[in-house]
Amino acid sequence: MSTETPNGAAGSPADHMRAAVAQLATRHAPEPGVFVSDLLVGELVLLDEVGYEPVDLVSGAGAASWNPQVASAPGGSDAWAAAITGALGTARAAIEREVVTRSAEGVVAVQLSLARRPGNVLTCSLLGTAVRRQQRPGGAGPEVRPGTAGAGAPGVPRPGDHAEGRGRAHPGQRSGHVPAGRRPFGTTLSARDFHLLVRAGYEPAGIAAGAAVVAFPARSVGQGLGLSRDNLELQEQTAALYQAREIAMARMEAEARAQGADGVVDVSFGEQPFNSMLVHAVEVLAIGTAIRRTAGGHRSLEPRLQLALDDAAPDVFRRG
Amino acid sequence: MTATTPPAVPDAAGGGPRPRTSALSVAEAAAVRRLGLEPVGMVLGTIVLQVVSSVAGSAGFGGGPSAMAGWGGGPAGGSYTSYPCVHMMGAAAEHWGFNAEDAGYASSVGSGFATAVARLVEEAKALGAHGVIGVRVDVGDLVGGWSTWTFRATGTAVALPGSPVPSEPFTTNASGTHVERLVAMGLAPARLVTGVGACYVRPNCRTRGDLLAPGTIDQIPQAIDVARDRARAAVREAARHHGQGVVHTDWTDRRLPSWGEGWIQSAVAIGTAVRRFGPRQAPAAPRPVVPLRP
Repeated sequence: MSTETPNGAAGSPADHMRAAVAQLATRHAPEPGVFVSDLLVGELVLLDEVGYEPVDLVSGAGAASWNPQVASAPGGSDAWAAAITGALGTARAAIEREVVTRSAEGVVAVQLSLARRPGNVLTCSLLGTAVRRQQRPGGAGPEVRPGTAGAGAPGVPRPGDHAEGRGRAHPGQRSGHVPAGRRPFGTTLSARDFHLLVRAGYEPAGIAAGAAVVAFPARSVGQGLGLSRDNLELQEQTAALYQAREIAMARMEAEARAQGADGVVDVSFGEQPFNSMLVHAVEVLAIGTAIRRTAGGHRSLEPRLQLALDDAAPDVFRRG
Repeated sequence: MTATTPPAVPDAAGGGPRPRTSALSVAEAAAVRRLGLEPVGMVLGTIVLQVVSSVAGSAGFGGGPSAMAGWGGGPAGGSYTSYPCVHMMGAAAEHWGFNAEDAGYASSVGSGFATAVARLVEEAKALGAHGVIGVRVDVGDLVGGWSTWTFRATGTAVALPGSPVPSEPFTTNASGTHVERLVAMGLAPARLVTGVGACYVRPNCRTRGDLLAPGTIDQIPQAIDVARDRARAAVREAARHHGQGVVHTDWTDRRLPSWGEGWIQSAVAIGTAVRRFGPRQAPAAPRPVVPLRP
């Protein structure tokens, strides 16, 4: 099996490996700057394909506390939700600052972790890889237009051509779709999904989140003790769930609109009940990636149906 | 076996050549073969280490107030921030919270990782290996006791027949299939790099979740920032000497209970420093497909 070597000559992977080992045996002068990323190699390639390169791992954290008893009193629920939003907002602002200080344009594959310890203290931490447009000349850009480069019949890929028809003859074909000075973008999407997003003609606007807390009254004593055997709907609790979801969604949508987004993708919905002696409430946190269309508009990726003739691979083959 | 295959390690009991071992999956083994590499054996490095905090006695369980007695303004060189009581009346300064960078803990854990990996590399050298792939580094408390940690590094040593054996084999936490992709990218896996950061937190009233003083908490985020920043800086510094960047960083944040309500906020980053040996390969041109699987 042979592939093309980096310099264009034919060579086997083994030749590359020998070149790699030979290179590693040479002395290496310390680099002034190195990138740090949590990307897998495939993700590095996928970012490279849409013209981005990793800069650094960036992180941000925020925390806030609230008094559940006060915050769940009538009219007081917003303080609780505001604390959750505040912790998330602090973390988001901190990671954005780190992106800006590194002259990066945004951060991909943001991992969100929420910890409650104790129960009324929420710690939110974000970690992701900051990326920027490639500095090197001739990088493959995100301007992937279907059927413009004349790569032959659609659906008949040739080596080195994208199925959509982007030939290799368009290095540096790239317009700055993230103008300088714009707020850095953040996305919970993996590098793979970011690649798909950019190829389909969208860009992430930022992480949009909405939180809501709705308190509801405790069950009656009879219900609580299991003495009431009626098959009754607990209407306040159903209503609280509905209300909390609606509010959280509305707040997330408002954040997305403020970021100039056309929509929100990859939304995850977290519902968390809170029950203590005096306080019964439900927390809902909706978080996703706000996206907007780039100037070129939507581009169909025209995925081809593929009929795999093998069974689903067992896990051992998927490793790596 | 071909002539270029390195000699098998003789069995300790003298019962003929020892079978070679590897932790590679079938797919990885195939990828490694395509690269011309031969798995020569599984290698292990381990160390049981007493992990010592420079702030709170011993990590895992604090040394108690006596260990704090020697404290005066934080350890040399580390950051130290105090967080006053936020109640209306305020409390005396001894009840305030503080964050203190825990350089002792970070260097203790860092040396645990470094020693485990160094011992793994020694084993690989003894096998005449050119590198170790799929290195997994983990920490546990399997043996030992209180404040004792077991650091373990395992991987599969590989040799490249026909190439001179380097003085220092490469190490990577990337699997065989990932190494193949890395090499196709024109990047050589150079070294496993680790970074550790730690910050001791003694919470003030708000950080403890006091119901009478709710609000925005600075102490926890700042502890996370210190720990993550040190871990990241250590990885970057290690990588500078081996290549142009770090991929595959595996990140672990821990909150280790310590004396009283305090804890050690730690961050561990383990990645692979990569060095460019050739230009980037031609675009991979990934094609979107929809597999017709159930």
